[in-house]
Amino acid sequence: MKQQPIVQFKHTTKIIGRKTIVNDLNFDVLAGEVFGFLGPNGAGKTTTIRMMVGLIKISRGDILINGHSIASQFEQAIRHVGGIVENPDLYKYLTGYQNLKHYARMVPGISKKRINEIVEQVGLKERIHDKVSSYSLGMRQRLGIAQALLHRPALLILDEPTNGLDPAGIRELRNNLKELAHQEGVAVFVSSHLLSEMQLMCDKIAVLQKGKLVSIENVQAFISKDSISRVYLEVEASQTELTKMLIADLNKTAIAGSGPNELWIQMNKDEVPELNKLLLENGVRVLSIHVQERTLEDKFLEMMEEEQ
Amino acid sequence: MIGLISNEMMKIVNRKLTWIILFLLIAITAGSFVMNKLTEEPVSDWRAEQSELIERYQGQLEIDELSPQMHADTENKLQIANYRLENDIAPVSENPWSALLRFSGLIEMVIIFAIVIAADVVSREYTSGTIKLLLIRPHSRSKILFSKYISVAVFALCMLAIVFVTGYGVSAMFYGFGNLDTTDLFLNAGGEVTEMNVFLQTVKMYGLSFLPILSYVTLSFAISTILRNSALAVGISLFIMIVGNSIIEATSRISWLKYLPFANSDISLYIFHLPARPEMTLGFSLTVLAVYIAVFAGLSWMVFKKRDTA
Ligand SMILES: Nc1ncnc2c1ncn2[C@@H]1O[C@H](COP(=O)(O)OP(=O)(O)OP(=O)(O)O)[C@@H](O)[C@H]1O
Ligand SMILES: [Mg+2]
Repeated sequence: MKQQPIVQFKHTTKIIGRKTIVNDLNFDVLAGEVFGFLGPNGAGKTTTIRMMVGLIKISRGDILINGHSIASQFEQAIRHVGGIVENPDLYKYLTGYQNLKHYARMVPGISKKRINEIVEQVGLKERIHDKVSSYSLGMRQRLGIAQALLHRPALLILDEPTNGLDPAGIRELRNNLKELAHQEGVAVFVSSHLLSEMQLMCDKIAVLQKGKLVSIENVQAFISKDSISRVYLEVEASQTELTKMLIADLNKTAIAGSGPNELWIQMNKDEVPELNKLLLENGVRVLSIHVQERTLEDKFLEMMEEEQ
Repeated sequence: MIGLISNEMMKIVNRKLTWIILFLLIAITAGSFVMNKLTEEPVSDWRAEQSELIERYQGQLEIDELSPQMHADTENKLQIANYRLENDIAPVSENPWSALLRFSGLIEMVIIFAIVIAADVVSREYTSGTIKLLLIRPHSRSKILFSKYISVAVFALCMLAIVFVTGYGVSAMFYGFGNLDTTDLFLNAGGEVTEMNVFLQTVKMYGLSFLPILSYVTLSFAISTILRNSALAVGISLFIMIVGNSIIEATSRISWLKYLPFANSDISLYIFHLPARPEMTLGFSLTVLAVYIAVFAGLSWMVFKKRDTA
């Protein structure tokens, strides 16, 4: 199946006052992928999402959804979008079911059966006829997801969806989103700063920093590219200088670690046997060697530091 | 559009505030009619009573401090009382329609409650954050706003109907169901005493009062849409309503005040021939109100359509 773009950002820019909050975004979100939108607090994630759903105007550029401009063809563009913006703010004085009925009435062709189906799917069956004011945050999050999926959107936008969910709920959501994307071809756009979560959930990750896109990659490439595991070595104190020289021969730099005999090197995991062989052949007594693989979090934080 | 309106209706009906208001509306209406019945004194000889009234009216007219409106009102009553004696026409026996006519003040209560509901219907979506999920549906903002406006207007109309029906029901218990053909003496637009159908006058007063109600609804709706603050919308609207009542008096002296909505927002003034200025007619008042309604509605529409929704 060829993946077609569901969302196309075209020089999307948002300026409020004199501040450029989102700066010239240019990328596509494809059908069938879970797309992670990562960035520290205040990066402009929510602002971008607000533009995607037409809550705020785009200052420059445009966003196309299924080929329709959200600015000039709002109704056609939004028809295929479901989402939660920021918090799952629903009508507290209505029941969960009344909330869903409310949103169902706004799109033609949503049957009672569909409402019941979605209630079952998000696991709210027992409490659906209670007032939303009595729901926990996690339950409101689930109801929020239910209203977003009610009309079978081609694009699902979730702003920090794991907020308030318990670990089981997070895993369930992760699986649901993956299934939705991979089985039903929905484009899922998720913003978060829960990095470890994104790593497990997303196929592709875009990193936003101060309103600018600083990276966009498939999640595997994102983690492994540029080598970047850390190899910790412990050798006899008398041999540290020798070790440093040997490592310099490999065109790498060994850096003194926290312990007196400890060194660490930035390198790929698959280069470790090479290193080990070299040290052995030159008579270095290696006390310990271990590889610390970088998580997405490490990479993310590094990226943020570089940008500062 | 029907779906949007039923959504808004559902949101109004499912609020506690709505039920408190409906309860007050019915209780106050019923209470007023009951109180009226309790304080009523039976009339044995209507001619003697009318002569007594004429003397009292004449006495009142000699007092200088009487406000222009009170003055006109007393003169009207005097004119009708004299006409009764001259032409030997007895006052109509008490009936639900006449009672409803006398309680035109209940319409102001409907206005106050309608202001409260209208103030909430847009700003509440903002304060609760629900505006976001409401606007990301395949409907233009204009349609969303319009459905809200229609819903408060319909709700206000229902309140007016409830006052009418409750008032009629309570009076019917005291005075019987009344006769649709009952006539009584009124002053026509030219100031001449005329016999008119009481039922039709009642329907005219309550029916046309929907326009002043709608103008306050629109004002409150517009303020709450523009400022996103329902307390301010209620406050400002009520303030204008109260100040407006005193402006009706001033309008008799300052001509341009007649173009403000206030002197035009009491339809009972035309039923009892008490226009704030002689050149003001019912048609003039209704036109002025319609213009204000269009302006307020247009303003809230323009702001709502353009605004960034944070
Ligand atoms: N209406 C506004 N006026 C001025 N500045 C704004 C406005 N809305 C957002 N901003 C600024 O834009 C920046 C981006 O905000 P945004 O809410 O998009 O960040 P975010 O990436 O969603 O952050 P978080 O992870 O905390 O949710 C912030 O610095 C914020 O202060
Ligand atoms: Mg945010």
